Amino acid sequence: MKDGIANNSTASISQARKAVEQLKMEACMDRIKVSKAAADLMAYCDAHIREDPLIMPVPASENPFREKKFFCTIL
Amino acid sequence: VLNFKYRGSPLIPEMATQEVQLNETLAHLKTESETLKSKLEEERAKLHDVELHQVAEKVEGLGQFVMKTRRTLKGHGNKVLCMDWCKDKRRIVSSSQDGKVIVWDAFTTNKEHAVTMPCTWVMACAYAPSGCAVACGGLDNKCSVYPLSLDKNENLAAKKKSVAMHTNYLSACSFTNSDMQILTSSGDGTCALWDVESGQLLQSFHGHAADVLCLDLAPSETGNTFVSGGCDKKANVWDMRSGQCIQSFETHESDINSVRYYPSGDAFASGSDDATCRLYDLRADREVAIYSKESIIFGVSSVDFSLSGRLLFGGYNDYTINVWDVLKGTRVSILFGHENRVSTLRVSPDGTAFSTGSWDHTLRVCDDCYFLSNLTTLQPRVTFLVTSCNVCCFSLFFFFLSDLGLRMRTQRMKW
Repeated sequence: MKDGIANNSTASISQARKAVEQLKMEACMDRIKVSKAAADLMAYCDAHIREDPLIMPVPASENPFREKKFFCTIL
Repeated sequence: VLNFKYRGSPLIPEMATQEVQLNETLAHLKTESETLKSKLEEERAKLHDVELHQVAEKVEGLGQFVMKTRRTLKGHGNKVLCMDWCKDKRRIVSSSQDGKVIVWDAFTTNKEHAVTMPCTWVMACAYAPSGCAVACGGLDNKCSVYPLSLDKNENLAAKKKSVAMHTNYLSACSFTNSDMQILTSSGDGTCALWDVESGQLLQSFHGHAADVLCLDLAPSETGNTFVSGGCDKKANVWDMRSGQCIQSFETHESDINSVRYYPSGDAFASGSDDATCRLYDLRADREVAIYSKESIIFGVSSVDFSLSGRLLFGGYNDYTINVWDVLKGTRVSILFGHENRVSTLRVSPDGTAFSTGSWDHTLRVCDDCYFLSNLTTLQPRVTFLVTSCNVCCFSLFFFFLSDLGLRMRTQRMKW
């Protein structure tokens, strides 16, 4: 019986200790401002957008999924 | 949880004091935990000086997109649950509820290989980086690797290798940079890294409080981390070597079904049953964008970025695919076509197309219909189209008239 209580409480205590350690570790992290992070995301997009085939057109010959285009397309 | 049975009248006096002490320690730890959590929120809030879409206001808008289905892959007998592209940008592996795993050539829509798993609900499948093997698993709680042979007649099931063993269903799997290691996530709440050759567990990742539903490896340049999402509404970023959870994000309101890294590795997107997709920046350590609309009420099953990271594709349970402008937070396209919920979505390795799998038993490969997409922004094309249509119509009309005139003249001559 004594062991019973001890085991249950120590289990939850060790869990709580782990959570506290995890939080302490996360608190120590070096963070940057959202404005800087956003600027970096935008810069990456800008640098690669010209190579993005889903945004910038590529010739049909380079995209194997597209059939040959006909002169008139039905809208 | 303390055993309340003994609270009333402990048999030995020492037990009472010990119990009180343990209670105090637990309460103390809980308070410390709460204090640390609010401090963490404070630190994060201090750096929240602006919103992403505000910074992105000066960026040129994308306009409307028109995506078109180029291929429909039919052959599965039941719901398609997962798919993955091969690095050769043409082959696809897909798995379904009926236990079948099929390897397709997406260009020709031919089935190259088919394997029947011993279990139903194959929820995870992945292509090896070399293209020589596929991994899959589901309700069998295992992840198995099948080497693909060039001989079509060879029984793939004979060469099957059981790699991962979990205590609940396998929800996702992914090879690391080589064919040698596999990362898995499971309904047992853990993720694990395995050696393919020996089946040995190399590292396990504990921290989720419920089923882990998805994972994604960081792009190779950014180091050895991966992100996982689970039913506990948390997205955790892990260090693959130490097994440590290095960052945790809890802003979703329901299960996270899909996570995907931004191409630069500095951020990741998530899709959830709460009908939103969210973008989390790793260096700012917070959520920086939400992609949602009041009209969208069904959960997101899978997300993926286009090559530049400017577009975010989301497969939804209302059978549609919504395409979002990542920077501005607006929707640029909505795709219809599937006749049941979209369960899986991946952009091809070179970004030319994206593939979706659905509960309607099919997979589709789609890309951008540039001509139509650019129609509204390129005035000359519109003018050309209208003029050419008019010319065609008028010439047809004149042809018809002249033909009629000829007939009437011949009729008159007859009389």
